[in-house]
Amino acid sequence: ANPEASHPVSLSTLPPEGDEPQNPDLTLPVDLIRRRRRGRWTSRSSSSPEAPPRSSRPSSPRSTAERDTPPLTPTTLINPPFCFSQDVPKALLPVANRPAISYVLDLLESSDLKDIIVVVEGQEAARLVGAWISSAYLDRLVVEVVAVTEDIGTAGALRAISKRLVANDVLVISGDLVTDVLPGAVAATHRRNGAAVTALLCSVPVSGPSDAASSGGKDKAKKPCRLNIVGLDITRQFLLHVVSGTDVEKDVRVYKRKIRAVGQMEIRSDLMDAHLYAFNRTTLQDVLEQKEAYRSIRLEVLPYLVKSQLRSAPSGGEGTIVDETGNVVVPPSSNLQCLSQHRAIAPSAFKQDLLASSGGGTHRCCVYIASKNKYCHRLNSIQAYCDINRDVIGEASHLSGYSFSSHNNIIHPSCVLGSKSTVGPQCMLAEGSQLGDKCGVKRSVIGRHCRIGSNVKIVNSVVMNHVVIEDGCHIQGSVVCNNVQLQERAVLKDCQVGAGYTVTTGSDHKSESLARK
Amino acid sequence: MQFDDVHRVEKAKKRAIVNQSEARNRVELFRHLPQYVHGTQLPDLESKFFQLEPIHPSVYKVGLQYLSGEVSGGNGRCIAMLLAFREAIKDYSTPPNKTLSRDLTAKVSSYVSFFIECRPLSISMGNAIRFLKNRIAKLPITLSESEAKASLQSDIDRFINEKIVVADQVIVSHAITKVRDDDVLLTYGSSSVVEMILEHAHELGRKFRVIVVDSRPKLEGQGLLRRLVAKGINCTYTHINAVSYIMHEVTRVFLGASSILSNGTVYSRVGTASVAMVAHAFGIPVLVCCEAYKFHERVQLDSICANELGDPDVISKIPGRADLGDLKNWADNENLQLLNLTYDATPSDYVSMIITDYGMLPPTSVPVIVREYRKEQLWV
Repeated sequence: ANPEASHPVSLSTLPPEGDEPQNPDLTLPVDLIRRRRRGRWTSRSSSSPEAPPRSSRPSSPRSTAERDTPPLTPTTLINPPFCFSQDVPKALLPVANRPAISYVLDLLESSDLKDIIVVVEGQEAARLVGAWISSAYLDRLVVEVVAVTEDIGTAGALRAISKRLVANDVLVISGDLVTDVLPGAVAATHRRNGAAVTALLCSVPVSGPSDAASSGGKDKAKKPCRLNIVGLDITRQFLLHVVSGTDVEKDVRVYKRKIRAVGQMEIRSDLMDAHLYAFNRTTLQDVLEQKEAYRSIRLEVLPYLVKSQLRSAPSGGEGTIVDETGNVVVPPSSNLQCLSQHRAIAPSAFKQDLLASSGGGTHRCCVYIASKNKYCHRLNSIQAYCDINRDVIGEASHLSGYSFSSHNNIIHPSCVLGSKSTVGPQCMLAEGSQLGDKCGVKRSVIGRHCRIGSNVKIVNSVVMNHVVIEDGCHIQGSVVCNNVQLQERAVLKDCQVGAGYTVTTGSDHKSESLARK
Repeated sequence: MQFDDVHRVEKAKKRAIVNQSEARNRVELFRHLPQYVHGTQLPDLESKFFQLEPIHPSVYKVGLQYLSGEVSGGNGRCIAMLLAFREAIKDYSTPPNKTLSRDLTAKVSSYVSFFIECRPLSISMGNAIRFLKNRIAKLPITLSESEAKASLQSDIDRFINEKIVVADQVIVSHAITKVRDDDVLLTYGSSSVVEMILEHAHELGRKFRVIVVDSRPKLEGQGLLRRLVAKGINCTYTHINAVSYIMHEVTRVFLGASSILSNGTVYSRVGTASVAMVAHAFGIPVLVCCEAYKFHERVQLDSICANELGDPDVISKIPGRADLGDLKNWADNENLQLLNLTYDATPSDYVSMIITDYGMLPPTSVPVIVREYRKEQLWV
């Protein structure tokens, strides 16, 4: 028996890029604002994650901040994903000192999905990611890393590997998703409803308290209006309408025909797309073939499938033959088809399917709404990066897999703390770090082999590996990348410091992105 | 299994796949029937989707559909189950040192116990399972594995076709003779066969109107009403509390059945017995339409000894009326127990005629069908 037949769900996970370089000597020139759409990983038989599309449009304040980068960046991107160092693909960015992709892979491993295709954008990133995965998950998972050209979009990445998908359903996970929602629950909902696509929706996360201004320093008038409008039916099972935040102007337009067909529609703006989809493979392949121009799953493929739910044109698939005796010849494909034929014979046997009865529904789009007690967050902005780091050590500590000390923080045994240094709760210090005297660390993550001097205050920040912080520095709400040197009495507030940078003595930076030229 | 035997229940729980917890405040008279807390079963089973190795995915999917109530009705559930078995047989391969018939029978039994955990079996499903196990046991030893599998799959297809699809068509052709112009037909709940009869009669151009009687909590009649109105049939809709008020208009009553037992008792959705009794009191003929594969040789005198208990919370909540929340915390009150029965037994005195694919019979002929034609069904 084909082992894949017992699990006819193929998943592909796309890890986001990111990673710390194994070898610090390999640092390439840093560029803070560079398009970073790397790391689309698709897992083949288990899940295909998708690279999260960097979807910020000019109107969004997040990208506005990105665009206000100093002119040293070679390209000013309209859709810049955040990135800290060019050499580190986003998938391998450390979240609580574990690469971001590891959360997705662990989630899949715990669900017994062992065959994964990971699609990464960019050859270099693919190589790094592949190297890390094969070392970390040597015998536990079978991962195939596929490199695609950059800027091909999530749909493009799926198109590139669509020949390799063989199972009946495909699970697509973005590699930057940190969650403990079981993919099995989404897959079960998908199968139960016989849907063409099932999307995971989670509540929009509330952003962190103190560093709200990391993006909006210059925009006072604009609020973070990245709204996501979703229209659900009464039972909250089917997705009727989806508009992503960037397309929302002032009005939301909904077709009357849709509301007439289903009777009642609930429109919610507090749910966002978590970028975990379960697709029916044939539908997905048809859509990708027919619509060559589609590049993003979240922005193009999903709205297309949702809009075409009520159209009468069949979306492909085999027809069934009914011969003279009225017998329905069951096609060799899934029994779902046959079941739908018997739906015609015994329609009262099946629960009222509003979409089908409206005449012309050929496929359905379902949703799975993550319950409130599950953690679900995407790494798609600097704000989100800080938030996730904080949450993984804090509330969602079961995700990190570490065990906490009595003070509710994680300190590696090889760390050296000076006298009168305090490490508050919800902090993390990785191995080899040294703190000087009278330091205060609150709600921060510090990477490996950092040398921190005395009288240093680090609050709400993420400090990566091999960082040297001299005496008297104050770091608040910032992200400091690898191999950075902060000289004495530097003050950073809501900044992002690229890898290899040196912050000069006594400098004071607020809401800036610093990068090496 | 009788669920008031504590040891047996414990043993069954250890083997169970679905995590179920017993409900509180159970009615004493029905303690022999299983009653579980309904809210947590579905999410729990969904989260185990990738970890249930021994259960075939189609079987798992159909189990989920039973749990969530998406597939309901005797015919629908039976067809869904048989198709799931068909897929499972297609993907089956005999392990070494085992015979196909014994191992496959054991596998089918494990799937059946999974279905029972999701929702107790209906009688139609029980008969279909007996048929399938009989076919597996009767496989000649000389057949190779692929031939045996193909033969079983064609048997399943034939069963669905002959016993359900064609049987429904035969029933419709018999029942059409009983629908005349200017008839007022009453039906209760939502039966697939009755719906087919009404639609066919409308296509043939008969002039009649339909009264659909419905009841809480399932409100299945609403679906039937929508479909009939969409076809253009003149319909009236009412709830079961008003059935005696409209019965004087009715000329004939058509009812569906989940099963018909050997003493002529019709085992059907709860409320059918009341409708049949009121019709009988008014002197209106009651016609029960049921396929022959649903007949059973058991005898049942009341609705208590074999039944299915539904979720009591749907009784306390009325959708759309959040202000009627008097029963919100009913479980905290020790003296209050809510009972939600799914089936009831209609005595044979109230039934005028049973329309099956073997013809139109009086209720006393049911044991004859079971005796004469059941053997043929098993061995053909």
